Amino acid sequence: MGRLTSFLVLTLAYALVLEAMLVPAILFWPEFSANLDSIRAMARNVPILGQEMIGRIEDEGFPAYVLAQHFFKGANALGTAAAILFAAPAVAGEAHRGTLELLLARPYSRARILLERWGAGALAVTLPVLLTTLSIPPLAERVEELEPYAPYLACALHQALFLLALYSVTFLGSCLASNPNRLALVALFLAVLQFALYMVKTVTHASLFRLCDMEVLMGIAEGRWNVPVVLALAGTVVLALGASLLVFRRRCP
Amino acid sequence: MSAGTIRIDGLTRRFGAHVAVKPFRLTLGPGGIIGLLGPNGSGKSTLLRMLLGLVPPDAGRAEVDGVALAGDGVAIRRRTSYLPGELHLYGELSGRAHLAWCLRGRAPAALARAHELAAAFELPLARRVRGYSHGMKRQLLLAAALAPDVRVRVLDEPTEGLDPTRRAQVLELLRADAARGTTLLVSSHHLGEVERATMRQLFLRQGELLDEESARDLYRRARESLRVTWDTAPARDVLERAVSGVPGAELYLAEGRATFFFRSGGGLAALRALLATTGLPEPRAIAYGELSLAEVYRALYGVEGV
Repeated sequence: MGRLTSFLVLTLAYALVLEAMLVPAILFWPEFSANLDSIRAMARNVPILGQEMIGRIEDEGFPAYVLAQHFFKGANALGTAAAILFAAPAVAGEAHRGTLELLLARPYSRARILLERWGAGALAVTLPVLLTTLSIPPLAERVEELEPYAPYLACALHQALFLLALYSVTFLGSCLASNPNRLALVALFLAVLQFALYMVKTVTHASLFRLCDMEVLMGIAEGRWNVPVVLALAGTVVLALGASLLVFRRRCP
Repeated sequence: MSAGTIRIDGLTRRFGAHVAVKPFRLTLGPGGIIGLLGPNGSGKSTLLRMLLGLVPPDAGRAEVDGVALAGDGVAIRRRTSYLPGELHLYGELSGRAHLAWCLRGRAPAALARAHELAAAFELPLARRVRGYSHGMKRQLLLAAALAPDVRVRVLDEPTEGLDPTRRAQVLELLRADAARGTTLLVSSHHLGEVERATMRQLFLRQGELLDEESARDLYRRARESLRVTWDTAPARDVLERAVSGVPGAELYLAEGRATFFFRSGGGLAALRALLATTGLPEPRAIAYGELSLAEVYRALYGVEGV
């Protein structure tokens, strides 16, 4: 089916780009660690990234570097965009092209229709993060680093939950909206704004990306889950999905 | 309620301050083709969508094929089939894939039947739907709506955009379906077509179901109408004088077009009188009976855009 194929192609492309960002980052590690002093000097002018991140990498070495590259940089940027672009057209796209009536007229309950849509997008957003994470230990061997799977997979789970929360909130927006392009633009603008807030030391605490940054991820990698953050993210997913079900139940074609 | 019936009891729907469908009571079927008529915005599509749970009603109850309208209406949608009035399809799918998509959740025999119908309509199922004409899209959705083995079908404008041959073919299919005991609730703008195909006609106006007497009256008026069109309309009093000898003639005059309705026949007598009247210009067109619902409504109620 054409629609399923294009959906799978998008998911595959997202996974490949994530992997394509990860591979050179890991292979660059020996050069990076050899030049850490110079990089630290350069990063002094970039408050958050420069001081916290480089400091972490100096202390923790390769694991901190990979977390910064794969999760904070790769999955947070690309994954956020993917979450928004997969969620925005889920319902609003059908309304925009006029096919919502055909979709609703089939002999399925609205809850089933909605959960199928949500589930497909949720898998598309989270699976690439989990799958690409599996390639970290084998790639690490190429740069003579021996890394276990478990800490990275734990971080990937947290990252997936963070993206799932962003996806679910945008999905709720899609249940309310009729123009997916406008919704996606607004959501992307807000995401960029949140990322910009993260970079500014005085307001960084107001950024959503604090919920999935180096601090949180390093804690998880060391076996210390931030339970309130996890509960907040899981609660957001549940609330947004519940609200989507309620809104979709009353939605007219 | 028995199988194959549609029972409506006070279904109401508002969109903001506008009441799209006002409450009424009605029982339809079992079996037969029932025509639902009315101009754009009269509430036809909203009523049909409410019956299937596609638009949640604000008040009232309904039963279709013995099943009460409850929740999101899935129980009713499983026992009915539906043809939407608006033709928005997944253009990237082939006709074959689109049929399969529409009929997911139905018995496998429905897809086979849909392929038979599509073949009868000579639809190129291998082609992407975006390359289909308006009429072909309508026929594709019709094939999907007529294929499932159900007791009730709800069809919104099934013949709109079809050429006369296909239109006749579709009406024949509907008649055959009704003959098997299926109840078909069909919305249409065409009185003539509805007259030929349906056993009962319902008229909606501004969300209100006209009473049966009004409906019959409207229907009879459409059949006994005479429309004469001039490039420049003659004065009203000249026309009224010309048909003064024809009892019960009513005149509606707009934009160079005079439409007469008669209480009991009289169309031909009026036409003779008009043609015999000296001083009237040569008419550009003359139509007797078979006025479209749009024309009847335009003349009687001043409603445009049917």
